[in-house]
Amino acid sequence: MRLISALLLTALAAARPALAQDEPHRVVVRDVVRGVTHGAKSGAYQGRDRGSEQTDRFSRKVKLGRDGRVSIGNISGNIAITGGSGDEVTIDAVKRTRGDQGQLANVRIVVDDRPGRVDVRTEYDSGRSRNNNVSVDYTVTVPTGASVEAKSVSGNVKVTGVRGAVRTESVSGDVTTVDTPKVEAAKSVSGNVMLSGIQNDGELSATSVSGTVTAKGVKTHALDLGSVSGDLLVSDVTCDRLTAKSVSGGFEYSGAIARGGSYDVNLHSGTVRFVLANPPGFELTANTFSGNIRSDWPLTIGGDRDRDPDANRRRGASNRSMRATYGDGSATLTVHTFSGDIVIAKR
Amino acid sequence: MHPNEDALNAFADGSLTAGEAAEIERHLGACVSCRQLVDDLREILGATADLDPLEPPVRVWPRIERAIRLEQEHAARPVGAEVVAASAATGDRGAAAAGRYRSLRWLAAAAALVLASAVGIRYAPWRQSAAPASQTAAAGGAEIAAGDAAQSVESELRQAEAHYENAIKGLEQIANAEQNALDPRTAATLQKNLAVIDQAISESRAAVRSQPANEPAQQSLIENFKTKIALLQDTVALINEMRKGNEAGAARIVSSLKEKGE
Repeated sequence: MRLISALLLTALAAARPALAQDEPHRVVVRDVVRGVTHGAKSGAYQGRDRGSEQTDRFSRKVKLGRDGRVSIGNISGNIAITGGSGDEVTIDAVKRTRGDQGQLANVRIVVDDRPGRVDVRTEYDSGRSRNNNVSVDYTVTVPTGASVEAKSVSGNVKVTGVRGAVRTESVSGDVTTVDTPKVEAAKSVSGNVMLSGIQNDGELSATSVSGTVTAKGVKTHALDLGSVSGDLLVSDVTCDRLTAKSVSGGFEYSGAIARGGSYDVNLHSGTVRFVLANPPGFELTANTFSGNIRSDWPLTIGGDRDRDPDANRRRGASNRSMRATYGDGSATLTVHTFSGDIVIAKR
Repeated sequence: MHPNEDALNAFADGSLTAGEAAEIERHLGACVSCRQLVDDLREILGATADLDPLEPPVRVWPRIERAIRLEQEHAARPVGAEVVAASAATGDRGAAAAGRYRSLRWLAAAAALVLASAVGIRYAPWRQSAAPASQTAAAGGAEIAAGDAAQSVESELRQAEAHYENAIKGLEQIANAEQNALDPRTAATLQKNLAVIDQAISESRAAVRSQPANEPAQQSLIENFKTKIALLQDTVALINEMRKGNEAGAARIVSSLKEKGE
């Protein structure tokens, strides 16, 4: 489990202040925000950090093509991306500060536009950023088939209705995708990760260090879930391969398992709960140091430890180490939790 | 069909033949996810070339782990098959313990490599390093007699523990020295979660001490060490990125905004 990926790191690099970022081989469109300033007392000195909110708005449209690639890197502020019709990327951004209005000019929104690709990033004037307190909120519409990378250091990231591949990350904000079938990676350090409407044949990695990872309506080949202290909750899910790890969080999988699939869960103190609908069969290898194992599905015990010698089949088994099969035994469930319970329930 | 990660790695660092590279190029032309992975790998290679050797590159650890495991499984397949067969046929705990012994030998070797990565191994050399380590682990497994394997498991577990603790110590030193590169709340979140892992390690360790042969306890202890190393490596990598060419950068901006209540 890698909780902070290299992709986040590259995104942070893209979003870093304006130090040697211009790349001569690219067409760089540097749009200094058009100076429409909004504020309750616009133009009046408010006293740094105590005044009303000052804003500058930015708006730009860039032609991309229906299956191009869009990346957005932000340091502070939210990113909301929506898939839309047409072949343009529409970027609307609002810079905000409660400090000196002049600080707004020290933050630039840079749009790199080249064939098949649009990169948007936030640049802070390196000489003045020590005292800068400007955040930028992005609202972006992309062609629905575009692939998207969106990353913010401090801010929420939400992607809705994008059909291309999506990778999205935040350090301290929530990450949300809705009706976005090809999410490949969704990560946060301290925020929650919430996904819905996933449908693809690839791999999905969803991780947070301290937040909860929630996925609803997931159909994918491989699912990788991870946290340190957050729960991992997936419902209405179908996948062939699952790995899930958490230290103090719990895990719940509600949905179907595939014939021949592989499901591997490793927790420390959380409870593992599979809620299965008509599984073709599985081989369960489960152990826990101080918890219990319980199955609502009738299991044929096949392990060599803690085995009840008088029962070949039992319902509602409860012990701490078990190898057992249900049905055709084709799927593999390997489950470990140190002090939590292991429950295989019927849906 | 996607090229495997080894092939993409080799492509990114330019070690493929012209024919192999051309094949990957063709695939990348049509595959966004692989193209992104190669971009990331190149970014990492570029970053590690410019950075101090103390800074462990991201993604190194999972690849070390995977490469060792695959190579070990390949090299030790006949031995492993014998152990499994013996265990299944006789229910012999010694044979099962021998299987775990091999696993723990591997973990010890892997932990040593983590330590090596923490003190200066760079991205490219791990592939050269992995083979001898895995061969050593496989050879070690072959030499273990089932009868004394249970005792060896305990001893090897302690050895693995020591390696992991050394690796953790090195990473902690780096992370603690540079943590002001992170905004305070992110740093606090990471610290809090490292403490969660420490608690888990303590619980697992106590369980292993009280029941040295208990497999779930052993498994928990090793998993928690691995989780801590992964989080520390991620922390260091995040610090690196925040710091890299970025003295007046992201962390301070984020910190400033939060302190001012925005």
